[in-house]
Amino acid sequence: MLELKRTLDAKGHGVLEMPSGTGKTISLLSLIVAYQRAFPLDVTKLIYCSRTVPEIEKVVEELRKLMEFYAKETGEVNNFLALALSSRKNLCIHPEVSALRFGKEVDGKCHSLTASYIRAQRHSNPDQPVCRFYEEFDSVGRQVPLPAGIYNLDDLKDFGRRKGWCPYYLARYSILHANIVVYSYHYLLDPKIADLVSKELAKKSVVVFDEAHNIDNVCIDSMSVNITRRTLDRCQNNVDTLQHTIQRIKDTDAAKLREEYRRLVEGLKEANVARETDVYLANPVLPDEILQEAVPGSIRTAEHFLGFLRRFLEYLKSRLRVQHVVQESAPQFLKDIFEKVCIDRKPLRFCAERLQSLLRTLEIADIADFSAVTLISNFATLVSTYSLGFTIIIEPFDDRTPTIANPVLHFSCMDPSIAIKPVFQRFQSVVITSGTLSPLDIYPKILDFRPVTMASFTMTLARTCLCPLIVGRGNDQVALSSKFETREDFAVIRNYGNLLLEMSAIVPDGIVAFFTSYVYMENIVASWYEQGILENIQRNKLIFIETPDAAETSMALEKYQEACENGRGAILLSVARGKVSEGIDFVHHFGRAVIMFGVPYVYTQSRILKARLEYLRDQFQIRENDFLTFDAMRHAAQCVGRAIRGKTDYGLMIFADKRYARADKRGKLPRWIQEHINDGSLNLTVDETVQLSKHFLRQMAQPFRQEDQLGLSLLTLEQLQSEEMLKRITQIAHQA
Amino acid sequence: MASLSEEVLLVVKKVRQRKQDGTLYLMAERIAWGPEGKDRFTVSHLYSDIRCQKISPDGKAKVQLQLVLHTGESTTFHFANESTALKDREAAKELLQQLLPKFKKKANKELEEKNRMLQEDPVLFQLYKDLVVSQVISAEEFWANRLGGLNNAEPAPYTNKQEVGISGAFLADIRPQTDGCNGLRYNLTTDIIESIFRTYPAVKQKYSENVPHNLTEKEFWTRFFQSHYFHRDRINTGTQDIFSECAKQDEKGLKSLVNKGVKNPLVDLLSLEDKTLDEGYGIKQALPSTSNSNKTVKESSNAAIIKRFNHHSAMVLAAGARKNEVPADQASETSSTDGNSRDSDFFQPPVKKVKLQEAIEYEDLQRENRQKTVALNLKKSDRYAHGPVPLQSQKYTTSQDIINAVNCIRHEMANYKPNLTQVMSSTAASSAVAALSPGGVLMQGGAQQAINQMVPSDIQGELKHLYVAAGELLRHFWSCFPVNTSFLEEKVIKMKSNLERFQMTKLSPFKEKLQRQYLGTNLTGHLEEMLQTAYSKFHIWQTRRMMRKT
Repeated sequence: MLELKRTLDAKGHGVLEMPSGTGKTISLLSLIVAYQRAFPLDVTKLIYCSRTVPEIEKVVEELRKLMEFYAKETGEVNNFLALALSSRKNLCIHPEVSALRFGKEVDGKCHSLTASYIRAQRHSNPDQPVCRFYEEFDSVGRQVPLPAGIYNLDDLKDFGRRKGWCPYYLARYSILHANIVVYSYHYLLDPKIADLVSKELAKKSVVVFDEAHNIDNVCIDSMSVNITRRTLDRCQNNVDTLQHTIQRIKDTDAAKLREEYRRLVEGLKEANVARETDVYLANPVLPDEILQEAVPGSIRTAEHFLGFLRRFLEYLKSRLRVQHVVQESAPQFLKDIFEKVCIDRKPLRFCAERLQSLLRTLEIADIADFSAVTLISNFATLVSTYSLGFTIIIEPFDDRTPTIANPVLHFSCMDPSIAIKPVFQRFQSVVITSGTLSPLDIYPKILDFRPVTMASFTMTLARTCLCPLIVGRGNDQVALSSKFETREDFAVIRNYGNLLLEMSAIVPDGIVAFFTSYVYMENIVASWYEQGILENIQRNKLIFIETPDAAETSMALEKYQEACENGRGAILLSVARGKVSEGIDFVHHFGRAVIMFGVPYVYTQSRILKARLEYLRDQFQIRENDFLTFDAMRHAAQCVGRAIRGKTDYGLMIFADKRYARADKRGKLPRWIQEHINDGSLNLTVDETVQLSKHFLRQMAQPFRQEDQLGLSLLTLEQLQSEEMLKRITQIAHQA
Repeated sequence: MASLSEEVLLVVKKVRQRKQDGTLYLMAERIAWGPEGKDRFTVSHLYSDIRCQKISPDGKAKVQLQLVLHTGESTTFHFANESTALKDREAAKELLQQLLPKFKKKANKELEEKNRMLQEDPVLFQLYKDLVVSQVISAEEFWANRLGGLNNAEPAPYTNKQEVGISGAFLADIRPQTDGCNGLRYNLTTDIIESIFRTYPAVKQKYSENVPHNLTEKEFWTRFFQSHYFHRDRINTGTQDIFSECAKQDEKGLKSLVNKGVKNPLVDLLSLEDKTLDEGYGIKQALPSTSNSNKTVKESSNAAIIKRFNHHSAMVLAAGARKNEVPADQASETSSTDGNSRDSDFFQPPVKKVKLQEAIEYEDLQRENRQKTVALNLKKSDRYAHGPVPLQSQKYTTSQDIINAVNCIRHEMANYKPNLTQVMSSTAASSAVAALSPGGVLMQGGAQQAINQMVPSDIQGELKHLYVAAGELLRHFWSCFPVNTSFLEEKVIKMKSNLERFQMTKLSPFKEKLQRQYLGTNLTGHLEEMLQTAYSKFHIWQTRRMMRKT
């Protein structure tokens, strides 16, 4: 709180690490809300970004509690408007559209019912289907602002149903004047979406990125492009369709095209004015310079632009016909394209904007169909805009299948700061927080910002409810490691199996085990099966295994929880960096032990990663090894942290790799885990681990009452106000 | 000979028992052995009494079969026919193997049920001791109308026992053993077969389709273990494998499970991501779907193993839960008919809300620890709301009435003036007091109540038991009336003699004991009265019967 207050006062940015389950969310919310109430002019809005839909909903529920508490204590209902925003899939109430299963389908269908020209057509043709919820919202919804209150996704849907308004558009409209907005951080970081949704958010906002340990990857993902032959083929089709449409419109409605031409001559002045007056969040795909210029003459008319696209496409096709791996920088690429097909840098930069304009003019119904050509044009703009921070890699085939030609052009972003830069620039305070952010100093480096505060907090515990153990050896003294050299070693695999077997016999309810990669897990499971280890484990617990298929894994997860629930106990084998490790919590009996088999290093042979490491070394002076270890350790911490979701929870954290014992690895674990690792738990054998675990579990199984915590990790109001306690708190705060 | 009326399933000659040659008979309900040349059985066991059978190992000189009874006794038969001894033994064993489980379950269930009833009900246990152990009536008679009543009337609360689940490793328990000549032996028990059937209904279906029309049981299981269905890591090669269909069905089942989706939104990975990246963006390229074809054999077999484990665990779990499904459905139905808001299909199930609340709530931060109460589970809430109302409207005293009455009394008391001219004489008063004190004339009735102080508690307990036992016997007796069948006739006579025996063996000694202890009060009077009534009823009935007969 203290650190956060400092951040807000300084109107700067902060990085905070707090263990999960210690009330991270609620403390952030309560302080910022209080700040908003005290200085309504300084902080006008809180933008709370989280990662998954359930987490977003959890945040809103906590906020609701906070507001209820405010109402109870102050006796007055404050007029805060807080709402959650999610994709159409989660908010749509149109009976047909919402029945669709995939987000993309919902978006496409919605677009085909609500696009402006569709609605315009309806005036002449009443049979044209439109979405009545949107119509209703459009006609009356904007006049009256959403009444104050807390709106979760379901509340929005309810409200929408009552009023007959579209909840999605209502929410998107309402975030402009809401006091608190909770949504996924793609809405801020992904330029394509941010441009639509978050552009007009007020400058005096506080932005919180929760669960932000992967934020750099999100940034990079949103700015990277992959082009395969299939993309190009589809793009070709798109261009052909555009050609036909233009031809048709020319015959019927030439005025429309002329109008567009005029607009393009005037340039993107509108956007420029808006950005200068600080109304809009900058779009990294739309660099500042081009706003001041008009679209170059060579692509101003529709036909010319299409010709331009065709040329560009042919060029890309020729590039994909390579026989060996090519890696080059953006300027090299631009030079090459100029030499080969005489495409200048300038028109390339306008490509994305020009295409948008054309699609609008041509009244294309289903934007989803044109994703390929949009992708290409975005690529063109990006490659011509940024000379640094990106790399182009063309691979003629997949490394694993060298005989099958499958050329891919990776245009990969290596600098996460590009995507997040507008956010840091625009908003007055950005707080990055998560349970696992250690080592803290690396985030400001790779995201390129200067935080006012950086702090890592730990938990005050009435009992040591977490027990990290590092298992380095098997019972036969074989060193346990997932190192590449010993990966296929039967002795290691057998010892890993023994570890799991022994743990399955002593740990109650659920055990979650993480492997470094899916392939590794498959191999280990297969050899465990051959050696009969799995059968023995089955005597103790049921086994569930994560698969690449999300639906199947969801089912396995649910069954896993069911098995834990009914007392049979289960083991979930899962993959670090997988979906389970990122989004699912294993509270209480769902995860009494987490076993991390090996150190989850990223696949280091990939060229993209190598390029990124090189870039990090050159630009930010981060050594390759440091970054790799950092990346591995944050994933490991993320995995083991899944089991502890609060101080009443307890669980074993078993790191089964001798490399964890080294100081450089251990030092990169979050502080709240690190401080419980003592020298006695560094290089254990399986037997020793079992002994320690038994002892720990027996201790933890004792009843744990509120009274035990009082005064230590739980304070009554009187205790909180007492002089002594206040002194202690300040002391702790200074230590941090 | 009794066996004439029974169906004889198997006769084995030349079977020795206690060094005596004889013949072994396997009949529909029992196994019996008679020595040669005699037409009666010296050994006869009901199948339901047999706990298990044991056989001598193959290599041994003597070919024997041992039966172990529930009582712990055992009987050994020695098959002595030199040429066919082994075959005979196998035949007997096979037959017993089929017969025993049928009886076993029945017997066990009954025994268990009886045992449980006796344990749960101390009164019944005492009664059992009084009547059966002291051989007033036989055990069968005792149970005859008890179990019957139980089975028909109210099995629900008792039989609703916890279902025993399936061990997750039942397949692992079938350890194949090499038999030394390049073959494998699998030992299957009925439990394992049961587990396989419960977990894989498809196999059960196959079994009922093919056994015994197409295959023998042994062949069926041999094929099962040979099939790729059992060894999922093997890749399907043979097409004539009868289990390939099972695999397909399993696949279908798994798919339908997957398609059903998950109820708990917190674990639904599909809806976790708010916004997926558009195709073509992002660092990680999803593997193209065509890559399935070029997967190596090993990889796909690994994937199959993983799938299999997931499926296996899910099925084991489901087999355990299957029994509970039905009541759960009913509960949900009743709750919705109770007027609880039925969720329209638009709404997300409230599961989501509950899970969210659970996720954000911390137990230790609750202000007061409320006692966890048991929720009232109503099958029909309207019945609860408008339950049976007493017909006569009760007269309630309102609080106003009470206040008035109190005021009235207070008023009376305040205005009370002793009228000293019209009081009782002191002698009359003292005699009245004496009469009203304990032991006085007017307090005779009070002395009766003190019987529990006068009689020592062990006598009381004995008396209670006698009452219960007598009540039980009398119930049997009176339930025979009206006597309209010959069975009842028999029974009533038997019951009469039972009653008499009861009076002789139980009641009279008790009475003497009372007299010995000089307990004057006639404690057994009522019991005797009841018995007397029964006797007289019996006499009336008997004389009537005689009249009718003559």
